[in-house]
Amino acid sequence: MTMLYLYSIFNGLVLGMAIFLVSAGLTLAFGIMKIFNFAHGAFFMIGAYVAYAVTGQEASSLWIFLAAALIATIVVGSIGVLADLTIFRRLAGVPADYTLMAAFGIMLFCTGSTRIVFGQGIHAIYPPAILGGIADIGIPISYYGLFIIACGLAVFLMLEIGLNRTWLGKQILAVARDPWMADVLGLRVRRLKLISVATSFALAGLAGGLLVANQALSLDLGHSYLLLAFCAVIVGGLGSIRGAFIAAIIFGLAESLNSVLMPTMPGISSYALLIILVLIRPHGLWPEQSQ
Amino acid sequence: MNRIASIALLLLFAAFLFAPYLVNPGLVFIAGFAMIEIVFALSWNLLFSYAGLVSFGHAAFFGIGAYVAAATLRYGYDIHFILVLLICAVLGAVGAFLVALIVLRRASGIQFSVLTLALSQLVVVLIGYSDYFGHDEGISAIPRPVMNFGLFTVDLNRPLANYYFVLFVCLVAVGLMWLLVKGHLGRAMQAVRIDSERAEFIGIDAWRIRVFAFTISGAFAAVAGALLAPWGQIVTPEYVNWLHSAQPIFATLLGGAGFFWGPVVGIVGLSALNYFTRTFTGLSEVLVGASLIAVVLVAPQGILGTLRQLAKRRKGPVKGGHA
Repeated sequence: MTMLYLYSIFNGLVLGMAIFLVSAGLTLAFGIMKIFNFAHGAFFMIGAYVAYAVTGQEASSLWIFLAAALIATIVVGSIGVLADLTIFRRLAGVPADYTLMAAFGIMLFCTGSTRIVFGQGIHAIYPPAILGGIADIGIPISYYGLFIIACGLAVFLMLEIGLNRTWLGKQILAVARDPWMADVLGLRVRRLKLISVATSFALAGLAGGLLVANQALSLDLGHSYLLLAFCAVIVGGLGSIRGAFIAAIIFGLAESLNSVLMPTMPGISSYALLIILVLIRPHGLWPEQSQ
Repeated sequence: MNRIASIALLLLFAAFLFAPYLVNPGLVFIAGFAMIEIVFALSWNLLFSYAGLVSFGHAAFFGIGAYVAAATLRYGYDIHFILVLLICAVLGAVGAFLVALIVLRRASGIQFSVLTLALSQLVVVLIGYSDYFGHDEGISAIPRPVMNFGLFTVDLNRPLANYYFVLFVCLVAVGLMWLLVKGHLGRAMQAVRIDSERAEFIGIDAWRIRVFAFTISGAFAAVAGALLAPWGQIVTPEYVNWLHSAQPIFATLLGGAGFFWGPVVGIVGLSALNYFTRTFTGLSEVLVGASLIAVVLVAPQGILGTLRQLAKRRKGPVKGGHA
């Protein structure tokens, strides 16, 4: 029984890191645009499809797998640059509701384009052989799971250090907190917004490229992660990377333990948990000070 | 502008009124769906444009109505369908009232939106567990009711009767909402939306008004859902999930936020887009997405807002004022 719990805790950590990989970009975009970017799930999906197009069903080596993820990052990041230049930048002055609608439009547009390019089919993707194995230390631990945890930690540390310890990161935080004041201080607000939106989209692409294996790749891939990532972002405190990290792990564990503790009621715990947590702490675990 | 708008609305109404005689049955079917979605979108707009609440989970109340009506028809409970509609309205209202009691106490703004989203997804998950509601496949092959009104009977198995029944109920619902927002309560709701603090100063209980608006809106959404059961004859969790909750949001923004009739214009626009692109897989999403983006960029006030601006601009020089 203990083994079962340990196993499901490991799975929960893997799932939590996966959720974090998606919510990292989401929370960054929220900080800058003050909306939930509905298109994020679609870009995650595009990243996954791009990686699939590069590697095929099974990447021949770890390096090709990583290279595919990098290509997905770059492709989706450039779509982000394009989206910011043509759409989001022009919506800076109007209420956030319209940015939300534009994001929804982009989501539909991207889902439709992916459907045209890649078709309706569902593809099974496997991790490269080196990550395919399982280490048995009492409980079966897949190398791919460990790889995802490592990636999640790496992205978290990079964002934490990048945002809090570098000059560029501090400028981005300043724009997120108060764009008007940042402008008065002479920061290049438009360029910083462009950088952070592109980073956010690139993170979605990276997440897609890394998480593509071990799932059924289909057009619905974006939705399942998007909702859990929403939960993590709101519980973490809107726009906070650290909060999203902790909350993603909480939700990952909740989802995973749910299937052990309440096998007859799959998928209920994360929404129940979200409702309870938001009612207890409406502003999240790490509330941001921005207005 | 006002006159043009009323003429356009009348034309639209006439189009719906004579649809069965003008177009093929496929389009009539879509028109019926559009009317149901209009009631749903108007009930959401009641919250957004009048009470200033952005609900992301409104499909939950639509789902309550749809599933209750579907279950009563499918499992052969012998209840008059008008009564079923009323029951659905009451259940929707009670559900919305309870949600409002819990959620509005603690959360506002984006937290409110996300909480409503989570609650509606919870409903989707719960429906997935239920044998009675048919798990993920939903309830299909719903029989259409025959209603006995004493002097005459209405048999919804006849296409014409079915269409005009939906039209009639939708008109009543829209009329009631119109009366509500133009009356004392509608003004109170708007006062709360614009500045809840000042509204409190003049003796409006903002919290009570918000709870009231949410309750009423839930009731109308449930009625719209209840109409879906006999019209579409199939009810699936698709109608409850968050993508359906997004439908009224985009209809409202497309048509023009802040207008009572905005969602009507928006739904008609969205339905038309869906209809003309239905045969191309993928392309329909691309086009709907692209036109949403185009509307946001070119006409951020929505269709009605842009029309009003055009009318103002034309009038402007005559008065001699500057823009």
